[in-house]
Amino acid sequence: MGYLTLSKISKQFADAVVVQDFNLSIEKGEFVSFLGPSGCGKTTTLRMVAGFEVPTSGQIILDGADITDKAPNQRNVGMIFQAYALFPNMTVVQNIGFGLRIRKEPEPAIKERVAEMLSLTHLEKHADKYPYQLSGGQQQRVALARALANHPQVLLLDEPLSALDAKIRVSLRSEIRMIQKKLGITAIFVTHDQEEALSISDRIVVMNEGREEQVGTPFEIYNFPKTAFVANFVGTLNTAEAEMVDPVKGIVKMDGVQFESANQVEGQKRGDRVSIAIRPERFSFASEQKKANVVDCKIENITFLGSVVRIQITIGRTKFNMDTFNNPFLELPKIGAVTQVTCSREAVLILDRQ
Amino acid sequence: MAQIALPASRRSTSTVSAKKWLGALPFFLFAILFLIWPSARLMIDAFLDGQGRFTLDNLAQLFQNQTIVSSYLLSIQISAVTAIGGGIFGFFLAYSVTIGGLPKPLRSMLITFSAVASNFAGVPLAFAFVATLGRTGFITAILKNIFGVNIYTAGFNLYSFLGLSLTYMYFQFPLMVLIMAPALDALKKEWREAAENLGATVFQYWWHVALPILMPSILGTMFLLFANSFGAYATAYALTGGSLPLITIQLRAQIQGDVLHNPSLGYAMAMGMIIVMAVSTIGYIWLQSRSERWLK
Ligand SMILES: Nc1ncnc2c1ncn2[C@@H]1O[C@H](COP(=O)(O)OP(=O)(O)OP(=O)(O)O)[C@@H](O)[C@H]1O
Ligand SMILES: [Mg+2]
Repeated sequence: MGYLTLSKISKQFADAVVVQDFNLSIEKGEFVSFLGPSGCGKTTTLRMVAGFEVPTSGQIILDGADITDKAPNQRNVGMIFQAYALFPNMTVVQNIGFGLRIRKEPEPAIKERVAEMLSLTHLEKHADKYPYQLSGGQQQRVALARALANHPQVLLLDEPLSALDAKIRVSLRSEIRMIQKKLGITAIFVTHDQEEALSISDRIVVMNEGREEQVGTPFEIYNFPKTAFVANFVGTLNTAEAEMVDPVKGIVKMDGVQFESANQVEGQKRGDRVSIAIRPERFSFASEQKKANVVDCKIENITFLGSVVRIQITIGRTKFNMDTFNNPFLELPKIGAVTQVTCSREAVLILDRQ
Repeated sequence: MAQIALPASRRSTSTVSAKKWLGALPFFLFAILFLIWPSARLMIDAFLDGQGRFTLDNLAQLFQNQTIVSSYLLSIQISAVTAIGGGIFGFFLAYSVTIGGLPKPLRSMLITFSAVASNFAGVPLAFAFVATLGRTGFITAILKNIFGVNIYTAGFNLYSFLGLSLTYMYFQFPLMVLIMAPALDALKKEWREAAENLGATVFQYWWHVALPILMPSILGTMFLLFANSFGAYATAYALTGGSLPLITIQLRAQIQGDVLHNPSLGYAMAMGMIIVMAVSTIGYIWLQSRSERWLK
């Protein structure tokens, strides 16, 4: 049993089931991301933990106590909103001290805690400014300080970075992660940006249509996606339909081309239709040393993407993307050329057909 | 490249700004012809006696003449009462159609009604009140015949301070609704949720967050309502026929009347009114800009 446990949570609005039989257990101090497409129920799940929505069924246990039906102001859970939600009539200091003042902490204790939070979030210079005098990134740091000032048991962040521009997004996310580690606070971070989720989390919950599709470390999610949905949603991926030839050895056939996979899926029989998935960076041009999967292909197009060069190839009748690192001495084939590419057995994923 | 482009772009911005000013011309013409010029005339005339000589007599009268002082006070009283009364009533109406969760159609009905009613004044408004709450008005009659309550023997009188205040209220509260409804809409749901998340009750949220955010708009709009009824003339005249000596009614008597005819004193009284109204309008603008700055 974890520190925060959501068991069999469902949420229904009118006739729409938004979250369905959602299960998750989070350890104390863990940083967990909810990753999924728009409308998959991330915000709704988070709001149930905060108490703004009551689950239609299921249970939320925090540190041994059932909080499923507790009012939001009776839980000690810090929430950070996408649009900052700072109180516009209060200065930075007043915003940060709001929760403590509501809890009737003694004034000196409030002062001390606010000062601590200001230095933690590097906001000392802005202490007496109003929200309208701050940039988006600064406002979100105030929101973070305000949420943390109350010593919440869990920190909830609903796409806190998506209103910011790219550079600040990256720097603030590492700042959030650093502060979270420093305080050892349990956090749930909602995002629909896979790079954000992969870079910041201890574990990722990939959500789809109100369910948890896969839960795992960023490494597991990226390298060993269990379903086609996860594989497609996280990272760029080539997927193709194939036929199972030998479930024991992991041999499949696509457009008459054979691939060998090290990732067998249980319960597959010869002749079953399957999906195979190969990440673009796992392809390379075949060299002399024979490897497992060496296949003929035709070069269709070449695109520079900065540090990476993306090459479109056709294997059989199916188009694939192949990525290779850019370097000035790279020798690229001509467009239209016919050559051979290869990928390791481990690179070929066999996914459940959806 | 850049050096060549610079003068051209500079020229184009100056033509743009010239065009912008040209577009604003009607406004300035209007302001000069109907606001600045007449006010300036009035101010000058207030310092002249009947023969066109400079004098401070007119101004001194404003503070010495008991009738004038008390009519200023009466106007201020009725304006304050209807601004606060209409303001509070209008606020709660606006609340109930925005955050209060009344159905959408009701909201557009109230807004449309408010837009019309806030401009309903003068003889028609006075007549409407006489027809409903006058001695023989139909509400008076219903109360008397069906409920057995005679409001006139109970002390109510439409042609009194209370009656006129009620009548003024009819165009005061709709103005409050019109200005407060958007202000209430601008309260973000996240503020409430953030406050609750930090442990606040609904009451604490209103006390510490929502009301302070709205207060500039509430007070500012009340200033506007104050000015609105301070300058009202026709409604009062049509309803009471001059039995309530409001400053506007006194003013007309000085400028056009047969008995009290003293136009120079009238100008000084008008100047006093302009000052009172300017102060409350500036109060409105200042408070409004304060809340707009927050809500940016
Ligand atoms: N109060 C509500 N009433 C009715 N439907 C709702 C309500 N809140 C959310 N929904 C619906 O629930 C579904 C999930 O919404 P939710 O906000 O949880 O998605 P999300 O994963 O956070 O998406 P996004 O990435 O766009 O923020 C959506 O289809 C939404 O329309
Ligand atoms: Mg969301």
